[in-house]
Order: sequence, then structure tokens, then C-alpha cells
Amino acid sequence: MWSTYPNDQVLPAKFWGCSGMRHDVVVIGAGLAGLTAGIRLAQEGLDVAMFATGHGALPLAPAVVDVLGYAPDRVESPRVALPSFVAQHPEHPYACLSMGVLAASLDWFKELVTPLGYTGSLERNLLLPTALGGLRPTLLAPETMAAGDLGGGGEVLIVGIASYRDFYPKLVAQNLTASAPADGRRIVARAVEVALAGDPRDLRPQLLSRRLEEPAVRSDLARSIRAELGSEAAVGIPAVLGLERSHEVWTDLQRWLERPVFEIPTIPPSLPGQRLQSLLTQLFRSFGGRLQIGNTVLGGQGANGVLESVTVAQASREISVSAGHFLLATGGVGTGGIVVDRKGIPREAVLGLPVTLAGSPSEVNPEYFGPQPVDRIGLAVDERLRPLGDDLGHLFSNLHAAGATLAGAEPWKEKSGHGISLATGFAAAAAILEERG
Amino acid sequence: MALSQIETDLLVIGGGSTGAGVAWDAALRGLHVTLVDRGDLATGTTGRFHGLLHSGGRYVVKDPSSARECASENLILRRVAADCIEDTGGLFVTTPVDDPAYADRFVEGCGAADIPVEEITVGAALAREPRLNPRISRAFVVPDASIDAWKTVWACVRGATARGAKVLPYHQVMSLTMTADAVTGAYLRDARSGEQLRVRARCTVNAAGAWSRRVAELAGCEVGVVPGKGIMIAMNHRVVNTVVNRCTMPGDGDIIVPIRTVSVIGTTDIPVSDPDHIDPTREEIAEMMEAGEALVPGFSQGRALRVWAGARPLFPKTTGKQVSDTREVTRSHSVLDHEALDGVGNFLTITGGKFTTFRLMAKDALDLAARKLDLSAECTTATVPLPDSESKRFYWIGARQEEMEHEAPDDPLICECELVSRGDLQAALARRSDWQLDDLRRALRIGMGPCQGGFCAFRVAATLHRDGQYDRLAANHALGAFVEERWKGVKLISWGDQLRQTRLDQWIFQGILDVEHLPK
Amino acid sequence: MSTEALAPFEVRSSLDHCIKCTVCESSCPVAAVTPLFPGPKTVGPQAERFRAGDHSPDLSVDYCSGCGICTRVCPQGVRIAEINSRARAEMKVERGIPMRDQILARPGYMGKAGRPVAPLFNWALANPVVRLLGERIVGVHRKAPVPLAASRSFSYWAGRRRRFLAPRRVVYFHGCSTQHFEPEVGKKVVAVLEHNGFQVLIPKQDCCGLPLQSNGIFGAARRYVERLATQLSVPGTEGLPVIASSTSCGLMLKKEALEILGVEDGHLAEISKRTYDLFEFLLELHERGELRTDFQPVPLTVAYHAPCQQQNQLIGKPALDLLRLVPALRLVEMDRLCCGIAGTYGTKREKYDIAMRVGEPLFADIKTASPDLVACDSETCRWQIAKATGVTAVHPLEVLYRAYGGS
Repeated sequence: MWSTYPNDQVLPAKFWGCSGMRHDVVVIGAGLAGLTAGIRLAQEGLDVAMFATGHGALPLAPAVVDVLGYAPDRVESPRVALPSFVAQHPEHPYACLSMGVLAASLDWFKELVTPLGYTGSLERNLLLPTALGGLRPTLLAPETMAAGDLGGGGEVLIVGIASYRDFYPKLVAQNLTASAPADGRRIVARAVEVALAGDPRDLRPQLLSRRLEEPAVRSDLARSIRAELGSEAAVGIPAVLGLERSHEVWTDLQRWLERPVFEIPTIPPSLPGQRLQSLLTQLFRSFGGRLQIGNTVLGGQGANGVLESVTVAQASREISVSAGHFLLATGGVGTGGIVVDRKGIPREAVLGLPVTLAGSPSEVNPEYFGPQPVDRIGLAVDERLRPLGDDLGHLFSNLHAAGATLAGAEPWKEKSGHGISLATGFAAAAAILEERG
Repeated sequence: MALSQIETDLLVIGGGSTGAGVAWDAALRGLHVTLVDRGDLATGTTGRFHGLLHSGGRYVVKDPSSARECASENLILRRVAADCIEDTGGLFVTTPVDDPAYADRFVEGCGAADIPVEEITVGAALAREPRLNPRISRAFVVPDASIDAWKTVWACVRGATARGAKVLPYHQVMSLTMTADAVTGAYLRDARSGEQLRVRARCTVNAAGAWSRRVAELAGCEVGVVPGKGIMIAMNHRVVNTVVNRCTMPGDGDIIVPIRTVSVIGTTDIPVSDPDHIDPTREEIAEMMEAGEALVPGFSQGRALRVWAGARPLFPKTTGKQVSDTREVTRSHSVLDHEALDGVGNFLTITGGKFTTFRLMAKDALDLAARKLDLSAECTTATVPLPDSESKRFYWIGARQEEMEHEAPDDPLICECELVSRGDLQAALARRSDWQLDDLRRALRIGMGPCQGGFCAFRVAATLHRDGQYDRLAANHALGAFVEERWKGVKLISWGDQLRQTRLDQWIFQGILDVEHLPK
Repeated sequence: MSTEALAPFEVRSSLDHCIKCTVCESSCPVAAVTPLFPGPKTVGPQAERFRAGDHSPDLSVDYCSGCGICTRVCPQGVRIAEINSRARAEMKVERGIPMRDQILARPGYMGKAGRPVAPLFNWALANPVVRLLGERIVGVHRKAPVPLAASRSFSYWAGRRRRFLAPRRVVYFHGCSTQHFEPEVGKKVVAVLEHNGFQVLIPKQDCCGLPLQSNGIFGAARRYVERLATQLSVPGTEGLPVIASSTSCGLMLKKEALEILGVEDGHLAEISKRTYDLFEFLLELHERGELRTDFQPVPLTVAYHAPCQQQNQLIGKPALDLLRLVPALRLVEMDRLCCGIAGTYGTKREKYDIAMRVGEPLFADIKTASPDLVACDSETCRWQIAKATGVTAVHPLEVLYRAYGGS
């Protein structure tokens, strides 16, 4: 056994830990924008690596794709409303896109996630119930939610599950009944709360959704609902109908109740969001994409207008990863893509890029539900979605940005969040593909 | 329609700690008391302080008589209000920016005021509080503690109510009824229903603190109280578990109090004219965050959860002097007999003072009121424990977590940040039926944690609707009103993590629930 | 100045970043299968605000398996798993550490005790009656996977073999499992490294303390890892890469001892920076064009599962990348998070069923893939997978070894 070693042939100190890893494209961020672009690029055979500090907002989000819901009045048809909306908001991310690209991204998405059965079109917004019983405009909804479109009114039964703390059917039903979906249309909603045999008083959605994947449990649920059913044309239920087997759970309930069943999304976590995330990450991997969650990108190195590499944190080291193109899809203020310091000064978190629409720190709207200037902060980009410097030229010829990190939108007020992420992710991928020739 | 009328021995105006203390003391002496406040109880200065139960150490050099009062009241409250108190202990430390000579004067002052003080080594202080500035030169242990103001006030009120007291929150005094030479009661207006009501009282105590000038004016009397604005910032978690004070003359941002799940840094002292308009400014906030660095390096990088300001009722005993620096005003209290001062009988004002001495303030006021009412009963608040404090066990920070561990999963958590379960909520609803969401916050701490109502406001409003407390519109309104109210304390500290939190919360309310477009 | 000042308090202070978003809850494999564990947020950043002083308020944090997925998926940078580990240790110190955990936390004892009487020892471990008694008396589940003792330790073999001298040298950190239970893995590691022209230095080494840490026995864990850091810093090895073939022990050196235990040992901080997972090292060689790729066809179907502690190194799936180069090998990537065992967690009587439920989706996928072998970099995961699926589970190195012509 050795105890000491000669010290003459030690490897150079920097030999290790500076990986020669190189990819066609590095995507930073694993939310809807990053995954959309990543899948598009991987589908075209590119070697795509995706790094993200953690999961994006997908597992929290209701999984509907909003495009434009309010402008500021409720939008019936996004196709009709978008041209004037964009004209009035030239700084909005949609202003970088053509209607054709937006429509193409929606069609591509619907086909990509076929197992989740998304429906909807730019012609008309759906009006889906919220967990408070409001009617919320959105464009695409998965099959498990689509029957909740109450734009034409109707009679529905709203079912709560006693062990689930994030859904209150009575309030949903009363607010729905008071809603006016369209001229002359009415909603009549009734509430009922059912209990699943053997459940404790509190079941987290993760457990509850898996419980419902057991056929015996969901048939028990269906029996309880059937006992309460009247003449209602459809049944609304909190969005906890399974994770991996949601299609089975939903189909069974519809069959047993002999009428459409729709999920109503509620506060995080979101099972529909997790289904979408899980499908998108599987697809990304299946096309050969590399997904690394947990790796924060700390910064980048570039020269002559080209971003050459980014620095990625691992458990005990930092490595440098180079690529031909980079996509920044780290989200906005809410998800950490843009950070604001104590003095109120915002900056882009990974590369320190300049942000736009950042008013003075004192611009806080004292009205909580009023427009908050901070929501519109983000990156300004050119028509190829490349971030702009203060001189309005692009910063790096091979750096693109997509999703909530872009400036100019108020996604929660407009109801445009996933639509922006999907369309700009799709467009950024198209720009990269075009640049690669 | 005839007005509702209440006949009472003692009308107490102001439902802060002083008023609640007066009600409790009076009820123990066998008086029938009516306590009124224009809002919910403990929403004025009492609900807006940092939660420090003074050892008296803060005042030993500057205001020795106040220090002595604090020292003895601290001992009494530990006996009678244990459930409201966490026995954190306190440290006075000399930081590099403090005058090193002050420490010896401090020790001398503690001796004179009978405050137990023990000097410990810097190493021992750091072992006890690892985040304390390692560059401190001296450290002293004193019996500071933290005290839950809302819990204390509600305990006083519960005790008083059990002895027949009538408590009327959200009842504003519209006018005082008077004969030629005395106050005989008041007209009240229920702020929620708009109904008027008349109280006939044998004696009236003005315990409106920073607002007592306005109440006194209703009787044509003058009270020279000066509201002193102090801002406080609650940090998201406890950076210290001991109250830490800079060992120096009282100044801005020189104390951090671990209270419940947060640590509160305070405070400033600025004379203001109107106690209802005391919004913190960005400059004050920035100074406070920086000031924390002297005690706890890295303090300013922590997550600020909420900022607010309170108005101290400062009562300069030398009348007629213009108050420019409110720090120079004594923290002792005064009982004003308006019969002697203004020729208005059966009317007293109790003002000045501080939370730590609220029991003594009540006693002094009641001793005078008792003379006017020919009552011989003595004060017993120094020995009779408040409800829930009978066991004399101090509050422990881990209590809710421990309880939750035993209750889950059979009692769903409604507020996950502050560990309030549906059972806790329903128990509160059983005690009182007219809760506003914001009252429930003070009673249960709902919405006081990191997410500031982002997740729980929806659950609470909908639960109140489900259980029949609210109709649809009330539930919709309550939800919006609650988050609007929370926003007041967050908007000025919207940076870093807390800003991110506000974005997530807004996404929930606007993006998911679409609260803005609920049917009217 | 204040950033530095915060460093020692980084784990606890990271709770400030929690915005309650529920990402960790929806990714936690344990909370998804049992109501006994309320989820990483609940026992982590949420409960941490209620922890102060000497008395632990916790119970359910004991059901955290320590897989670390929560920290990995948290978009805000909250050290959830680390907060939980510390809280669990506090709780166990207060409530007392069961004898069972004391034993499980010291795999070396069992290996050393078993070795001289390996046949008898291994027979006993396979005997249902002995296992039932073990469950009743000690609390190790009768069906839990347990390793069999090797009759000769790895270091015995290493000390007696002929030295291979080469200019390029690496230090091999083999870990307890190779030492006591699977010396064959270590022999193949040495063979593969030597095949690529490396002299492999194998200093005397003891346990890294990870099982102690995961069982909440922090004091002993700190002593163990500091001792190991000294052992691996033998004079003459300065600056050499330290290669770990056990992913969990590698992560202990890279990160966990520093973050969870708060060890401030200078040797350790330095070694952590040059510790490599075996396949991380080999892949890097390959990316430099320095790995021999004289692979022979391996006509097998191999299901690859990346274990949690390997994923927590944040190095991707280097074994998968490298084995893709092997001709005729059909690799099936298992896209599942956790096998459930989490070190010693799934062997415990009260946690065995939970661990099996956690692993169920993985086991089902493996059965669907019906591979010849399962490859997985972590020993305890291999034992769990093999036991649950009946498929032989090997270190991916064994597949590479075969590709290099080994048998």
C-alpha cells in the first residue's frame, strides 16, 4: 500500500474542471418558452442542452394556453383583437411576431401534445370557470377542461372533494350562476361536496390525484356524484384527476356520469400543469435534448458580438459550456429571470443584460389590482428576438430570448402568459434554425 | 326607531393595550365596563409595535424612572401573561459604531433601576446568537422578552367579557354626552352597520393613546399628546432568538426583536401631527435596513416581509414646550383628571406610557376612577393571571409546528406560513361571528407569513362562505380587501424575494383566479 | 462584507427565498405516496421558521428520505433538503437514535464483521427467519435489500497487486460498498482507468460518514469525513483528481459534508473541488479525445437509471452519454426520479413500504423494458432495483468494462 507519492508528475492544475462540452444550442430555463424552443430545435436534429436552476412555472400553472383575454375589455376573438392590440402596444412581445407565427406555434403545440388533447383556436376564446367561479377567457385547453367552456351558458354541477382544501364548490357555483357569459346566455350551477371513503380530512393534490388513478376510488367518486346529479348537462370538478393516467380517470368519469366532465384549475400546485410539464420534458428528451435541472447558469463569456460560452454551476465546481446559439428563457421578475435589488434597480439575472420599461423604483401602484409597472420590465429584443443593448443594437448575434423575460406584457392582466411563452419560444427556435441555414 | 342604549359603570374609549388593560382591571374590581374602539381591537399603536417586553435596560441612562417601571412591570407580566410572552432574554451589545463609554453607564443604570444585568464574554454572546456581529466589544444579558400584543389584548378582553364587560370593536365615538360639568356617556356609530347607539356611563376613560387629543376635544378638554412615529420592519425569519439591543443611547434601528416567526427591527422616532398619516418612507426603510448591519452582519440581505409605522402617544410633562425631538420626551405615563384640569367631571385621560407598562397605566387610571365612583376594591391585575396564562408557561415558538405534527393530516392547514389550521379557524368563528378577514389575521396570524395571504386568503374567504359567515359578494369582496390591505405593508419593500412573492401572489389572484372579473 | 458574513448561515437563510410555490411538493417522490410525509416545503422552509432553541418541534421530517430532489428542482435556490437534514438530526438527537440506525449508519462494521464468516453471514442474511427476527428486534425490514459480505476486501486485493506506473495519476475513492461488499466493481474501475493509461492511487480510506449523516448522527459523521479528507490528502497526491465510483459518497465529498454538516476542514474544501464522479471523469476524457474507444460490441439491452445522488452532483447523465458509444448495446433511459431506497431509508421497517411505492413507477418501467441488465451508479439503488425487479443490477462501469473486452 502507498503512503506517499513522488510529486513530479502532477497534472496541470487547470487540466480538470474545464470541460470541453459544446452544443449546437444551450437553452437557459426549462419553462414553457425554453421547452418549446428546445423541442423545436431538437426535432430538427440539433444538439440542445437545457440548464435551469429549477423547474419553471409549468407545474404551478393551470396548463391552459392564454393568448389574449383582456384588452382591457374581455376579448371574444384574439384573431380579431390582436392587430389593434399590437398597434397600441408596440413594445409588447407580440409586436415582434406575425399572426402567422403565432397561429403556427399554436397548431404545432396542439399536435405536439396530442396525448393531452388540447382544443381551441384563435377565432374564439373559451370561457373556463376559475376556482372562484369567475369566467376566464383562454385560448387552448386540455381535453379534461374543455367542456368547462361556458361561453354559451348552461347548467352544470360543481363537485368538491371534502379532503381537498383548495376547492370550494359552493362559492364557485354561486359566482358562476351570477355570471353573464354572453348576451342572453345564463349559467345555472349547483354545488355538491362529496367525500372519498377512507380519506383523511386533508389530502394533498399529489396524493389525491394518485388515489383517483385507482379504478375503485374513482368509481366510488362517480357513484357519490351520480347520487347528487340532476338535470345538469356537465360536471365540473377540481383539477386533480390523476397525473399519468388522467385520460383514463377523466374518460371513466364521463362514461359513468354519462355527460361531459371538466376540471377546474385552482391555486398551485397544478396537476394539469404537471402533466404538461412531464409530457414536454419527455418529448424534449425523446428528441435527444439534454435537460439538466438544478444547474444555475452563473454568467457568460463573449467577444466581438458573439456569446461563446456560459458558466454553469455544479455541486462543487463551475464548468464552461459553449454553443453556437443560446436562448435565454429564464422568466421574468416572478420566476427570477429578472431580479430587483433593494434600491429598486432591476437587472437580468444570468448575463446582466440591460432591461427596459424599468421606471423609477418609487413607481409602485398603491392599488394592488392596478397595473404594476414592475410587471412590464424585461428585455427589449429585435425582430429575431435578440436582446438589445442600450444603443438598440443586438448585444450578441447568437443570443435570443423568449417568454416572460421579454419586456412589455402584463400577462396576468391580459391573460397572455403561456401564449407569449409558446409563440416567442417557437419564433426564437425558428430564428436560430434560420441562422444556422 | 329608538336608539339602543347601554348602561355601564365605566366607558373606556380605545381598544389598545391601555383600554383593554383598563377593562380587565375594572372588571376584576367588579365594575361593569364598556370598551369601544373605532376599529378592531389593538389596531392602533398596540398592533404596530415591535413586540418588545422591556427589561427597562433601554432607558436606564436616559429615563431612569421609566426604566424602573419597566423592570417591575416586566416581572409582573411574566407572572400574569406568560402565555403571551416568549422568554427570549435580551442582549445589549457594544458594536464598533457605539460609544464604548456608554456600557459602564448602562451597567450603573441597571443597578440603580433594579434590573438584573450580567456581562458575558463576546464568545458567549456569539455562541448564543451566532449571527451577531463578531466585532462587538462587550455584551450584557438582561431580562428582555417578546410579547404578542394582540394575544395580550384579547386575553384582557376575554377576561373582562367573562366578568360581564361589553366590548364593541368597530364603534366610533361620535360625541360625548355631557351635563354642565361632567361627561355622562357617548353616542357611538357602528362602522359596519351604520347604526347609532348610546352609552350612559358613570365614568369615562379616554384611553385613545396617540388619538386621545381628539377624544378629549369632544369634551372640550385639551390633551397635549404628541404622536411619535416609529417605523418597523419585520424580517422573514428569526435572525436572532434573543432580543438584541445596541448598547448606546436610544436611537434609530438599534434593536431587533424576535417575535413569533419573524424578527422586527425598530425603530425611528419622529413627531407627527396626525397619527393616522404615518406612512414609512423609502429613506427611512433604507436607513433601517442598513442599521441592522451593525447588530447582524448580512441583515440587509435578508428578506423584509413587511414594513409599518406606529404612533407613540408621547406626553411631555412640561407643558407648553415645543417638542422637536420626541426621543427627549419621557416614556412614563400620566393620568389626567379633567375635573381638576378642565372642570369636566367623570372624565379621565390616560396617556403616555408604553406597552410594557400598560397594566400599571390601567391601574393608575382605575385607582383614580375608583375614587370618583366611591369604589373600594383594590387592583388585582398584578396577581390574577390572564386567561390562558394560568399555567404560567411561556409561549414557545415551536408550539404550532409541534401541534401541527400531531394534527396532520386530519386538520388541513389553511395558512401554511403561520400554521393555522381549519380547526383553528373554526374555533375562532365559534368565539365571534363578525370577523373581518383582517381581524382573523390579528387573532390567528393568518396571512402574516412570507406569502402575505397569497395562498391562504382564498382558502379563508371561501371557507367563511362555505360555513355561512359570508354571502357570495362578501366573500369576493373580503378576498380583494384582504390582499389590498396586505399590499400596504409590502409595496414599499418590494425588492428581491418579497417582490418575487408579490408577483406569484398576483399571478394567483389575477392569472389563475381572475379575481378582478368576478360577477358583481 | 455581508455576503461573506452570511456564508455560514446560508442553508437556514435560504428559506428566505421560498415563495411557497409548491414546485418541491409536486416533485417529492415520498409525499406523492404517503400522507405521513407532508412534503419538503412543509417540513423545510416552512417549519424552519418555527425552529429555535433546544427543543425540536418536529416529527414528520423523519419521513424525508433525503433524496435531495426538492433542492434540485427549487427554482428559487432554497436548500430544502439540507434544511430538512439538519432538522432531522436535531430531532433525532433529542428523541434518541435507535440502535438500528446506529448499525445501518456504519456499513463498515457490518462488512468487517461479516467478512471472516462471509458464507455463514450471507446465509443468515438470506434466511427468512433471521430476517424476521431482524425486523422484530432491530427494525430492519425483513424484505429490505441488504448487501452480502465479500470474503476479501477491496483493499486486500489492491494492496497485493502489481503496481501499474504511469505519468498520469488519479486517486481512487472507492467507498465502503466496494471495500466490503462489491470489490469486483473496484477492480474493474482500476482496470478501466489503467486501460486508459492512468496510474490509480488507492490510499487507505474509511467511511465518508454519509450513512451517519443521513441517519442524523452528525457528530460522528463530521469526524468520519474529516478523517477521510486527511486520508485522501496523502502527500504526493496534491492536485490529483479524486475519482469516486459511489455517487452518494462522491456527493458527500463534493457538497453534502460542507453544506449539511457545515464541516470547515481545509482538506475537505480543497478535495471537494477535485472530486469526480467516475463517469463524469471518463466523459470529460472523452470530450478531450483522450478516452480509448476501442469498444467491442456488447449485444445487451441495458436499462439505465440515474440515481438521485448522482443527479444531485448536477453533472447530467455522463454514464448514459458514454455507454451510447458502445456498439450493439441497446440502452434504455429510465426517466424516473427515485428508486425509493435513499441509502438506508428503505431498509427500515416503518419505511420499507413507502420506499417500494416510491420506486414502483421505476420498477414498472424496468419490467416493461425487460432488459438483460439494469445499470445504476449507486450501490444501494442497485440492491433495491435488483430485489424489486429480479433483474441483475450493475454499476454502468461493468458494462464499459465489458466493452473494453473484460469479462
